[in-house]
Amino acid sequence: MCPASRYTDLESGRISLGCNFACIHCQNWEISQQFAEGTVCGEREIAALIDEARRRGCRNQNWVGGDPIPHIPFWLKVLLWETENTPVFFNTNGFYSTEASSLLRGVVDIYKIDFKYGSDICAEKISGVSGYWKVITRNLKAAKKQGELLIRVLVLPRHLECCLIPIVSFISRELGPETRVNLMDQYSPHWRAAELPELKKRLDPDEWEKAVKIALEAGLRNVTT
Amino acid sequence: MWRLWRPDAVRALEDPKVVSSMPRYIGILKGKLLSKFVISRQVQVEWGSDSSEDELWDIHDASLRKMEKLMRDLDSGRIHPDELGDPPKKSLLHLKARIGESIMRSCRLCERRCGADRLKGELGFCRVGREFRVHSCFDHLGEEPEVVPSFTVYGSRVRPN
Repeated sequence: MCPASRYTDLESGRISLGCNFACIHCQNWEISQQFAEGTVCGEREIAALIDEARRRGCRNQNWVGGDPIPHIPFWLKVLLWETENTPVFFNTNGFYSTEASSLLRGVVDIYKIDFKYGSDICAEKISGVSGYWKVITRNLKAAKKQGELLIRVLVLPRHLECCLIPIVSFISRELGPETRVNLMDQYSPHWRAAELPELKKRLDPDEWEKAVKIALEAGLRNVTT
Repeated sequence: MWRLWRPDAVRALEDPKVVSSMPRYIGILKGKLLSKFVISRQVQVEWGSDSSEDELWDIHDASLRKMEKLMRDLDSGRIHPDELGDPPKKSLLHLKARIGESIMRSCRLCERRCGADRLKGELGFCRVGREFRVHSCFDHLGEEPEVVPSFTVYGSRVRPN
């Protein structure tokens, strides 16, 4: 038996750690849903590492988790100590509050937001989150106004009709066909993905071909794969 | 070294599709523009130690408008970065950090709005808690070409018992 199962929440069947989602296919499950605890770090220490990284040629500071949303208060303190001009790349699932959005405004240079689901039912089933669509669409619109936006769409097997179509239609219609979208084919059944029949396998080539066609037919003109 | 692994990353900054979607970011990388947090750190802000969170938000929103005006002036060249002088002791960025800490008393950073008092050590759904735990950080080469190399910090959380 996988020792991780000792830590699962009895009600939902899973828990999440360092993240506000509990994705059943989490790629970073060792960090977000299992044992690794990490080391307590001082803000000055991290700021110094970021400054050094910038000096050796890194292009940005990439805040990730889990998800960086719960870490925002720490990050704001880190920035107070930084001395280099290092753009902030906020690498998020986009499920943050309007308060968080206000704190990020005037701080985040690039909002990299995962647009995962086209339906609240799928969001609930796969990531254990409710009210997804309303929140993600609100935050995407705000991110476009208050910074530069890069959207990642991981195509999930058998979620083309329910998820991909509403996602690309929304982007094209509400954010504009020029919005930069990284359409991703690398879905892989990590963590406990095998518990959902459709997520047991990788995307098949026909489905990927269809996904690209859907994105282009929605009018998107800045798709990278 | 990364140029050998990701030649596409070198070309990306000239790619019209990248340039059109993130012109400001590219301006920063070329040393022409300032990252937003650097500008926020230049906006002087005053608040009282006994201010309520609502009062802090009012000051925040007014200062943010000043920051955005300063950014427009800097980006258009009306103000030169050399004219900025030393950053103030209390800035918009300090105020944001102050409000961020205040929110941790009843956490509503994510839309779960679980209300955990993280400053008292309570752990909400994410179990992130009071202290910044870092799982790892490294120069990430596996992101989009315009993004890499990217110094990536993986925030972590308290392990369950």
